[in-house]
Amino acid sequence: MSRANALRIPTGLVIAALSAGAWGQTPAEIVARADEVRNPNAAFRFLSTLTEYVSGKPQAQNVLAIFSKKDPRTGQFRNLVRFVEPPRDAGKAVLLDGRAFWFYDPASKASVRISPQQRLIGQAAVGDVLTVTMSIDYTATLVSTESVQDANKKPRTSWHLDLKAANELSTYARIEYWVEQGSFQPVKAKFYSDSGRLLKILFYRSFETWLGGLRPTEAVILDAVDSSRVTTLKSSEHRLQQIPEAWFQREYLPRLEAE
Amino acid sequence: MSRRWIWTAVPIALVAFAEPAQAQGQGEDELSRIPSEAPPAPPATPSGRSGLGKLQRTVYLESATEAELLRSSLDVPSPSPAPTTIEERFFADLVLHWIPTRDLTFHLSARGGFRVGEGIPFPTHENIRADFRELYASWKPFEGAYLDAGRINLKSGVAIGFNPTDFFKTRAVVEPLSIDPAVLREDRLGTVMLRGQFVWRHGSVSAAFAPRVASPPPLYTNTTLPALDPMFGRTNGHHRFLLKGNVDLIADFSPEALFYEEDGAVRLGFNVAQSLGKKVVAYAEWAGGWQSGIGQEALSFGTLTGSFSSAVADNLATSSATHFQQDASVGLSYATESKMTFWLEYHLHQAGFSRADWRFWFDQGTGPSGQLLAPILWFERGYAQEQQVPMSKHSLFLRADWTDAFIFNLELTAFANVDLYDGSTLAQVTASYAVTNLWTIALLSSANIGSRSSEFGSLPSVFSALFTIRYYF
Repeated sequence: MSRANALRIPTGLVIAALSAGAWGQTPAEIVARADEVRNPNAAFRFLSTLTEYVSGKPQAQNVLAIFSKKDPRTGQFRNLVRFVEPPRDAGKAVLLDGRAFWFYDPASKASVRISPQQRLIGQAAVGDVLTVTMSIDYTATLVSTESVQDANKKPRTSWHLDLKAANELSTYARIEYWVEQGSFQPVKAKFYSDSGRLLKILFYRSFETWLGGLRPTEAVILDAVDSSRVTTLKSSEHRLQQIPEAWFQREYLPRLEAE
Repeated sequence: MSRRWIWTAVPIALVAFAEPAQAQGQGEDELSRIPSEAPPAPPATPSGRSGLGKLQRTVYLESATEAELLRSSLDVPSPSPAPTTIEERFFADLVLHWIPTRDLTFHLSARGGFRVGEGIPFPTHENIRADFRELYASWKPFEGAYLDAGRINLKSGVAIGFNPTDFFKTRAVVEPLSIDPAVLREDRLGTVMLRGQFVWRHGSVSAAFAPRVASPPPLYTNTTLPALDPMFGRTNGHHRFLLKGNVDLIADFSPEALFYEEDGAVRLGFNVAQSLGKKVVAYAEWAGGWQSGIGQEALSFGTLTGSFSSAVADNLATSSATHFQQDASVGLSYATESKMTFWLEYHLHQAGFSRADWRFWFDQGTGPSGQLLAPILWFERGYAQEQQVPMSKHSLFLRADWTDAFIFNLELTAFANVDLYDGSTLAQVTASYAVTNLWTIALLSSANIGSRSSEFGSLPSVFSALFTIRYYF
């Protein structure tokens, strides 16, 4: 490679870097600020209503109670998910703690360990989608500054960030992430598998004040593999919640209540 | 301020505040797929929802229609009555949780309904079935500590097909709709016990005592199941004690150790499950204790319960001496990005039949005393089934599950249980479709594949199909 080529830096990157610098934020800081917008720091509990759309028509609805608490050692959220609706799933529970994932089924009274890949199969994966601490799980670089349309087709001037998995525990290998300049509100994200396959596209919307901040209360997930599938996640009944460390033991799962 | 800095700063400011570029690759089709911002409102928090409130309930009605194709002849003749070839069951399944205070919970789990079928006289008490699986109270004296009393379904173990450390599984399964191990656990009775548990940030410890409250009854057949009977003899025929605990040794590595005693006979157990990368979970379960072989154990049980005379059983008796026998289940699960999960498990049941034991079983059943001994030979196999242990020492279990297969909410499950001595296989395929949040239909088909002188090829049933319709209230 010639010396001239080695020094040739893509113009887009220069512009992006300069743009971020003008706001006084590094890419990592932008992602961290967006994390703070999405979720409070304290332990909390909320209900998440999932509506599954197939070809534009609602096909199924699930209600989950999600308990989230940051691990003081890693800064990542740990989640306990209890299924509330529909009746056939009521009482099922999932523990998502770092790399320890357990699924409890009240019908069989059995807790089985699931792999990081398996947790993405069920609805409980939404717990992670909503509370993933991107600033810890991923290493961010700035791609560009763009005007991106949000879920309501409103243009938002955003940083376009490229997030690479920072460790083997990260659920997705790569995420493209758009964060609005100024407000640090997350606008949109694209999630990729290890093989580079685009799995889902997520839009944040319905920003409301809860637990001390203006935060999104709804996520719209477009299935990138099956274009007929869309899932909306509407969160409600947020409240601060004392979550003892013992709750993150698998033996506690049968005793987890939704309230 | 130097002039050079100004020439540098101007373009930065221009870039920073200039109209940003339009996002690349944001297709209009993405936005057009987004549903309008008027999703169904999340339900409020009234009582009556399945998983919220002070009274939580899960109730469903199910119709199950089963047809079975039997072999025309067997090497070892099946004892009468012959298995039912067609049967219809209609039942209600109820699970209730009542939480009167934050520290007190009551649990009820029961199933009851009707059944008719070939070989089941009608109308008789045999047409009515009710099982009280669980009824217990839980009290939390302080955070992390729990006391439970009543009939409790206490399950242990991390494997899928066979759980050596699930000591309370014996004789607990009643009238299963499927031989799928996952379904078997749903149809099982709890054990009357007092249980204490303490869960803390690094582990948990539990102790349970289950007293003997009734004499062990003989093996049940399809036509001798009591209509309204808690069947305590099945679950509380012996004094039993279990102590178990798990501790986080490192990070997410938290093996569980178990000590179990039943009428003075001790069994030890151990189980562990660990993720290997993103897609694989490895797990192992082990239990060991002093016991005789499964055949001798069945004969002792049969004579004890008066199922047959000891004189007849003596024809099949082997050594009644007990040895340290081990059970193990070692497996892997693998999940794909296409919502498929595969399991592969090896099962060891040292007290089970060896190749020589199988040869003896078939020789006796086909020999000159075959007609006399056949009921006892089949009793041995029925006993193993009630104990929920493999009949053979070595077997393999494979399972596959595909969520949202082909269409949304369709789940396909298949499993195979393979006898490693003769290669015979019990295979089952299930298609389950959640039509709506309240309606589910399922079709199960299973087959016993193998030669006439093999474990599964010798069974009376060749093929069976089951169709179920379930409605949740």
